[in-house]
Amino acid sequence: MSPVAVWTRRYGAMIRNAWLVDLQYRASIVLWVLWGVTEPVIALGIWWAIAGDGAVGGYARDDFARYFFGVMLVNALTIAWDSWQLDRWIREGDLNYRLARPLNPLHESLADNLAYKVRGAGTILVVWLAAASVWPAVRLPFDPTRWAWVALAVALAAAMRFFISYTTGLLAFWTTRATAIMELHAGVGMFLAGRVAPLALLPPVVASVAQLLWFPYMLAFPVELLTGASLTSDKLLRGFAGQIVWLVIWIAAYRLAWRRGLQRYGAVGG
Amino acid sequence: MSWRHPLRVVGALVRLNVAEELQYRANFIASLLGTLFWIGTALLTLGLFFRHTTTLGGWQFWEVVVLLGVFNTVSGVIEAVLRPGIGQLASEVRSGDLDLVLARPVDAQLLVSFRQIDLWRFTDVVLGLSLAGYALVRLDRTPTALQIAAFLVALAAAVLVVYAIWVALMSLAFWFVSVENLSVLFDALYEGARYPVSAYPGALRFVFVYLVPIAWTTTIPASALTGRLGPAIALGAAAVGALAFLITRALWRLALRRYTGASG
Repeated sequence: MSPVAVWTRRYGAMIRNAWLVDLQYRASIVLWVLWGVTEPVIALGIWWAIAGDGAVGGYARDDFARYFFGVMLVNALTIAWDSWQLDRWIREGDLNYRLARPLNPLHESLADNLAYKVRGAGTILVVWLAAASVWPAVRLPFDPTRWAWVALAVALAAAMRFFISYTTGLLAFWTTRATAIMELHAGVGMFLAGRVAPLALLPPVVASVAQLLWFPYMLAFPVELLTGASLTSDKLLRGFAGQIVWLVIWIAAYRLAWRRGLQRYGAVGG
Repeated sequence: MSWRHPLRVVGALVRLNVAEELQYRANFIASLLGTLFWIGTALLTLGLFFRHTTTLGGWQFWEVVVLLGVFNTVSGVIEAVLRPGIGQLASEVRSGDLDLVLARPVDAQLLVSFRQIDLWRFTDVVLGLSLAGYALVRLDRTPTALQIAAFLVALAAAVLVVYAIWVALMSLAFWFVSVENLSVLFDALYEGARYPVSAYPGALRFVFVYLVPIAWTTTIPASALTGRLGPAIALGAAAVGALAFLITRALWRLALRRYTGASG
């Protein structure tokens, strides 16, 4: 079999497996959807009140509505719980038998990740379509070129968030507070990734600091592409360049943490 | 069984937990840093909103900070008592461990609610009240004794209301056994209590006042403290708290009747 066929079969099996496990907890889908919806809805509610009949930093009520629906969807498509999973594997020793398999555990995490994303994003999409059928403000213009760019940006953002989450989870080799570090990262991301507000509304200094870090490329950039930033080639170029540079950096960080961590892990166990 | 019996049980549980938690003092620092970080991000978020407005739902900046202090106080009670106690109910229903609780000669709801207490999270209560106090100073408002009394009553009612919401949520586990992580639902909804309820559009406001009454847990006590609402609101809050408690009691009995345990 060609390598492509081998990997397709492997991933097919792992994703099906993850999907079937998830299906046993169907009722939890409702929980995770609510969890993914409330934070943007509350932010939208507050900005809705602040905007009133005017506009804040170029955003009127309808723009805020589109922006936060975009946040909801892109977040569901790029979310990564891997640091929690990895933290548990390392602390409770579940990593041991995974290391004995002829496949890097990263692939299992990636398959899980894809499975719950399909489920989460699928349900958010249904929520959005239902909202759009009664609320014209959240409808998007039909624009296949834009959607192609958005798909690429979302894929890169998802890859970035996966490696950030996975690498942070690997810190469990050294500390028992790896998930606390991830929550710290999420707290900073509230502002710098554009979860509480579009980046244009942050104080200019904070916004320019954000541009130097990976946060805006995880969420704000794809959301702005989706909800109607003008598609200038300069903006696209800078956005995608930022995504690719930071993705490469985080993959390098993952490789380093994985190599060093395994040496350390072996030392404890053996 | 005299009225003192339940109090003695709670007292014994608290003593046990204190003895246990004192062994893990590093958790104190971690919990303190976590709370300070959380308060920091909450204040920055507020600051961000107030860069673009002067009032939020008719509230000034420091009034909303008072509310944030109340939010943190109630969250402290949730993290210290509710999450480690009643929050474990869903998994115990699934595993059948609830049998061990029911077998004891104490009121099961009492035992489930108080058996585990995360002592260090009470620092959140202290920090929350301090934040509210500081914001009052910045507002240049000294509450009268009556306002403080009204605030304390409203705060006690707030604790009853969040307790009722937790019991109601956790009771869902008796009907839908496979629901894994019910507390997530609370965390998601409770986010809405960080801001005055008057800031939300009508539909959300309706949800927060009547359906999931989290408005009563922060907006009302904060209003009582800043004098935005008269002391009479405390009577309303007390009524809502008492009603919430009676409903949970009934719900608990109903839920237990459905429970047959893993072994039974």
